[in-house]
Amino acid sequence: MTALSDACILAASEDARIWTMARKYTMTDTELPVAVPRQILRSRRDNSFGYFVRRRYFLLFLALPAFVYVMIVGVGPLARGAWYSLFDYNLQRPARTRFAGLDNYITVFTDQSSLLAIYNTFLFTIVGVTVQLILGFGIALLLWRDDRFNRTCLAFLLIPATITPLVVGLIFKGLLGADYGMVGHLLANAGIGPEGGLLSDGRTALWVLIAIDCWEWTPLMALILLAGLKALPVDVLEAARADGATATQRFARIILPLMLPSVFLALILRVMDAFRVFDTVFVTTGGGPGDATQTLMLLAVKEGLSFFNIGYASAIGNVTIAFIAIMASILVLAVRRTDVRING
Amino acid sequence: MNAAATQLIARRVLLVAITVVFLLPVAWLISTAYKPSSQIFSIPPRLGFTPTLEQFRSVFSYFHVWSLLKSSLIISGGSVILSLLLGVPAGYSLARSRSRLASLCAYFFLAIRMVPAVAALIPFYMVMRDIGLLGTWWAVIIINTMLNCAFVTWMMFSYFRSLPPELEEAAMTDGCTQMGAFLKVAVPSARSGMIASALFCIMFSWNDFLYPMFLTRLDTKPLSVALLTAYGTKDITWGTLGALAHFSTVPIVLMALFLNRYFVQGATNGVQ
Amino acid sequence: MSTLHSASRLTAIAAIGTTLVSLTFSAAWAQDKPLSGVTLTLASQNDQFGAVLANLAPKFKEATGAELKVEIMDYGQLLTKTTADYLGDTKGYDLVTMDIVWAGAYSENRYSVDLTDWVARDAAELELDDIYPVILESLGQYNGRYVAFPFAAYANVLAYRKDLFDAAGLKAPADMEEFVADAKKLTDPSKKQYGFVANGQLGPAVAQDWMQYNSQLGGSILGADGKPALNSEANVNSLAVYKQLFAEAAPPGAIEYDWGGREESFRQGLAAMMQTWSVGAPGYSDPSISKVVGKTGIALAPVAKGVKQTYGVGGWGLAVNADIDDKQKEAAWTFIKWLVSKPIHKEFNLMGAGSFMRRSQMTDPELLAKFDFLPVIAETYEHGNGEYRPRIPQYPEIQDILGKAVNSVLAGAAEPKAALDQAQAAAEKLF
Repeated sequence: MTALSDACILAASEDARIWTMARKYTMTDTELPVAVPRQILRSRRDNSFGYFVRRRYFLLFLALPAFVYVMIVGVGPLARGAWYSLFDYNLQRPARTRFAGLDNYITVFTDQSSLLAIYNTFLFTIVGVTVQLILGFGIALLLWRDDRFNRTCLAFLLIPATITPLVVGLIFKGLLGADYGMVGHLLANAGIGPEGGLLSDGRTALWVLIAIDCWEWTPLMALILLAGLKALPVDVLEAARADGATATQRFARIILPLMLPSVFLALILRVMDAFRVFDTVFVTTGGGPGDATQTLMLLAVKEGLSFFNIGYASAIGNVTIAFIAIMASILVLAVRRTDVRING
Repeated sequence: MNAAATQLIARRVLLVAITVVFLLPVAWLISTAYKPSSQIFSIPPRLGFTPTLEQFRSVFSYFHVWSLLKSSLIISGGSVILSLLLGVPAGYSLARSRSRLASLCAYFFLAIRMVPAVAALIPFYMVMRDIGLLGTWWAVIIINTMLNCAFVTWMMFSYFRSLPPELEEAAMTDGCTQMGAFLKVAVPSARSGMIASALFCIMFSWNDFLYPMFLTRLDTKPLSVALLTAYGTKDITWGTLGALAHFSTVPIVLMALFLNRYFVQGATNGVQ
Repeated sequence: MSTLHSASRLTAIAAIGTTLVSLTFSAAWAQDKPLSGVTLTLASQNDQFGAVLANLAPKFKEATGAELKVEIMDYGQLLTKTTADYLGDTKGYDLVTMDIVWAGAYSENRYSVDLTDWVARDAAELELDDIYPVILESLGQYNGRYVAFPFAAYANVLAYRKDLFDAAGLKAPADMEEFVADAKKLTDPSKKQYGFVANGQLGPAVAQDWMQYNSQLGGSILGADGKPALNSEANVNSLAVYKQLFAEAAPPGAIEYDWGGREESFRQGLAAMMQTWSVGAPGYSDPSISKVVGKTGIALAPVAKGVKQTYGVGGWGLAVNADIDDKQKEAAWTFIKWLVSKPIHKEFNLMGAGSFMRRSQMTDPELLAKFDFLPVIAETYEHGNGEYRPRIPQYPEIQDILGKAVNSVLAGAAEPKAALDQAQAAAEKLF
């Protein structure tokens, strides 16, 4: 049995990718690596009712711990927080707690700071992720060929993504200061940008933050997209090239549609993280000047952890979750629809 | 020189330029750790400086660096191990399940990542207080595991889905139990996916500071929280910050550099 | 053979016996220390005194046997974590450094132990009359009761570049009008020289600095009734002056400075004048971090003509967590008494804490030799005002509101009157 499984594993780890491609794009029956008679397999599956039941229980048993854990540790506190959001509840003044219904949510959508925070967060996410997608795709294309140079480049490029976001914010705060910062000083001397440095003016600060986010996460996008590129069926591309398709045509008609799953993965991961940005903004501008770089997370943390307005902070948190869920659903629908349209 | 070679060189030059752009800010931070305090923020800023180790000395006198490192390691390590233990079986189970709910469940786990940290923080803080785990590493490990295992589940779900089930079925035909098939066939072949998930989890736990800031005390404080303190409000202590950032950044960077190919492999199969 | 064996055995027994006896004796000796076995956890701001407190811990252990653990945090973390500790009743900290402006919150929410009776009881030990009254009142008391005991007092003084003033034939400004004029005169961007620097950064930094200038220009945050009067005419005027100073006399990056930033710019020689807390003064003479050694002077902070001559006082007090058990409370109070006692507090300052608060320290020759600006501080305390930043419970929110308003005026995004009107509306909602 061991020899069998070893052979299976060996074959599997080397051929898994190819099998997947084969399954997906050529629609042929999969081949087993060893000659196990199909009849035996089929009979085992079809005839044994007990097998199905046992299988189901086994799978349930495997999945249950994670599910229960997440429910208790995650969903529990979240539900409690959601309950609090219906109250005007400040931990420092517990005597003044009163049921407020949807008041907190109404405040989220009517308070000036809050509205600006919503606008900023959306702008930050949409612009940032789009730019990261385009740049990341470009870098992935550059890195497509698998050689040592490219691998080393990728390894170094990933460094910004591994640095603590807090530190990233501090680096740019230090670089962009008009008096001390190397970059800021150059810009101020050349007369480019606002006098106090790029981070000090409400009109430029948010764009700088978006740029910082791109600096930090574009390599990760490139990584995910590169993985997708490497999984593309080589034969299809070769055929296209042999047929005389230009690079642009190959890109638009073949690569892009086939990359849909990677793009989707990259987008959804980044959208979820970019919408909840906190560390970098907290440390560079703190939401300022004024409310120019206020984001939903900053607002929630300030309200919840500086003023202990638990009710309001929970409301902001729930609104954030709702927004992300909406965006994720839009992404899923868009990808599904494009997938259907392209791949039939 | 033919077109292909020119193209290759052009591509490589572009790549080097891009890499340099991405690495310059990092280089600046690293350099502040070796500058004497008076030269870090000279006006106007200068590139040259006299290297010194005084920042490292002051970091060691100001912080218990080894205690911080130990805390970071314990928190990240603990949460990764637990997340893998919980997440890999769950991901496998969802991938192999024929139920229509399976996909939905997997996306539910992914959705856990949508949750802003602050939303669960205060209720969780109060629960930890009631249990008496406040100030210990366990409090942070528990909440980090929750977030990480959700992510691991989803990643392993995608990964296992790309591995043909025939392998395990062949093993089971041959007399292996279901658990045996899982442990001896499925898990080893998912090694690269597991490593990739583990890397993502470590990156998250190591760099997270909001939860540890609240849930740890002086003895159990990790590096990420200490970094915030290093950036004080009364003095620009960029030197100590740069030095401390070394300890916070270098382990993760090294890990990423050496285990780079697992990142790619893991992401490959996560894409299917 | 056997005699040797038994002899060595006897020696062994004797040795063990002596060791045991001496151990017991030393243990008993250690038990003589009043607080042995006690551990005190202190949450400290990362001001200069933080490191000094940590360094004094072994001395405290020697004196009382108690272990002192100092956790140093930045302002935001300190406030958040200690408040969470009080609210959650988690008894994480026995002692907390309390900023002067938190006194109202501490009093109303009963975070800390009411020390009034203990202070009265131990007044002689504390040598209360040696401490300036303004410090006792503003750093320790709220509504007459002690919510904390002062240990680190700061005086708001004017730091200026004697060399630049001499070169321009000017003397240190005697009032705010001269201050503004001198700042403009000494500004020469081409030489990277600016007349003035202050905090511009959003949040507590700009709020606190502006409140200082505001009070010197005759404004006030609270009205006569104790309710916020943020958009009073005097406040609007002083905000306009602050903005003018920033536009015409401050380094371009000042709008992003917090305390560290402005101290650094003064130490780098960028600015000619800066109002600051006295705790930063020793830094200017430190060649390892300062480029203006020997060129600086410390003077009294000026007020506008017609405004009552008072000077800003700030700083930190030590509060005892109300949730901990009585034995810990006693131990904490013992620490406070030990720290503020004349000899220890003097050493505290000699080690660099910059927290002078006793009259005796102002004339002490050893301290004067190291810190020649003590007479200025003494004068500041004699006519000190610690209330210009209202120490009411709603202070953090008001500070946040003001921080945003002032910063947006400095950034040119709003006019002083409009910004303060908006701030007033937000502040009124808190009451």
